Amino acid sequence: MTVLDEPRERVLAATYACVARFGMGKTTIEDVVKESGVSRASIYRLFPGGKDQLLRETVGWEMNHFFARLAEAVYDAPDFASLLEEGLVFAHRSIQEHAVLRKVLETEPDRLLPLITVEQHRVLDFITAFLLPYLEREERAGRVRPGVDLEAATEYVARLVLSLIGSPGRWDMDDREQVQVLVREELLGGILA
Amino acid sequence: MALPTATAEAPSLSPSIEERAVGATLACVARHGLAKTTFDDVAREAGCARATLYRYFGGKRQLVRITIIREAARLAASVRAAGDAESTFEDAVVAMVVRAARELRDHDALQFLFAFEPELVLPHVTFDAGNRFLVGAGSAVAPALTRFLPAARTDRAGEWLARVVLTHALSPIRPIDLTDEAAARALVRELVLPGLLGSESAT
Repeated sequence: MTVLDEPRERVLAATYACVARFGMGKTTIEDVVKESGVSRASIYRLFPGGKDQLLRETVGWEMNHFFARLAEAVYDAPDFASLLEEGLVFAHRSIQEHAVLRKVLETEPDRLLPLITVEQHRVLDFITAFLLPYLEREERAGRVRPGVDLEAATEYVARLVLSLIGSPGRWDMDDREQVQVLVREELLGGILA
Repeated sequence: MALPTATAEAPSLSPSIEERAVGATLACVARHGLAKTTFDDVAREAGCARATLYRYFGGKRQLVRITIIREAARLAASVRAAGDAESTFEDAVVAMVVRAARELRDHDALQFLFAFEPELVLPHVTFDAGNRFLVGAGSAVAPALTRFLPAARTDRAGEWLARVVLTHALSPIRPIDLTDEAAARALVRELVLPGLLGSESAT
């Protein structure tokens, strides 16, 4: 992080702390001024859209952190399938244990969910860019079905992984064997040889 | 106002009144959104006396609930019918995916909600509510898959198809247009079908 990023980072971290304490609706710019020590004028210079922009970017900021932690947890997995299995299990547990997310989902889903949906494209890009080299490695090892378009396949996997992290549906993400079946059949059935 | 969850059984009503009320609710939501649609708007649109409508539905909340239940059933029947009309597994799945994507695209009320009142619809299709939605939608379309899959796999496959359609509808980023048959077929053939067949049937 550069020095220039610092006030911005402080404001986002402060907004996140305020949302954790007061919720999205009740957090005010004044609260963020107090929490961050950054002036009201500077906050409006950094976030000209005011509270709406600040909340949206704070949601994006925490989503980036969430997926960075996820990447950190799985980056050294031995192969693509194990990477996805570990990722799904880790992400599911992290979402269950994410106190701020659970609280806001419970009390202000109408405010949070549209912002998550707006910020989701960044996350999809991030997951796709993160996963692609792993699939390329599988291909070099001769473990990908001939004719698979690696980028299209990676985007498909990224999209469905994101869907599964939020809503696993019938799948019990605490059950390793189930996750293994899900990854090797539904997710990778058309991709791995 | 939050959308009520479509779980309970709809009471059996005179079909004509109920159909008119559901159609009128959808027309009003498509025009003004859900928050601004009033019980009176729906009565006027349906050409019913407010008192008559009130006797059947007892208020906007129940009216919206019945509308959701009816629309969900209609969408599921449409998707099943698309699958039933085909004779191979691939054609059936492609037809179901394309039909579902087109039903969503052409649904004016739903499109208004996604565009202008996402806060009213997203809580019903994401996170914990998303689990119920996907499992329910999967079971609703599963009967169209029984000709092609072992009984133990049809609900699971239906849920995966519902997930594939939902994720493309909710995040249309670099969208694969599933309303386009060729695009849907490429996705289904290359990526979706082998996953539904399972390792024992994979070639």
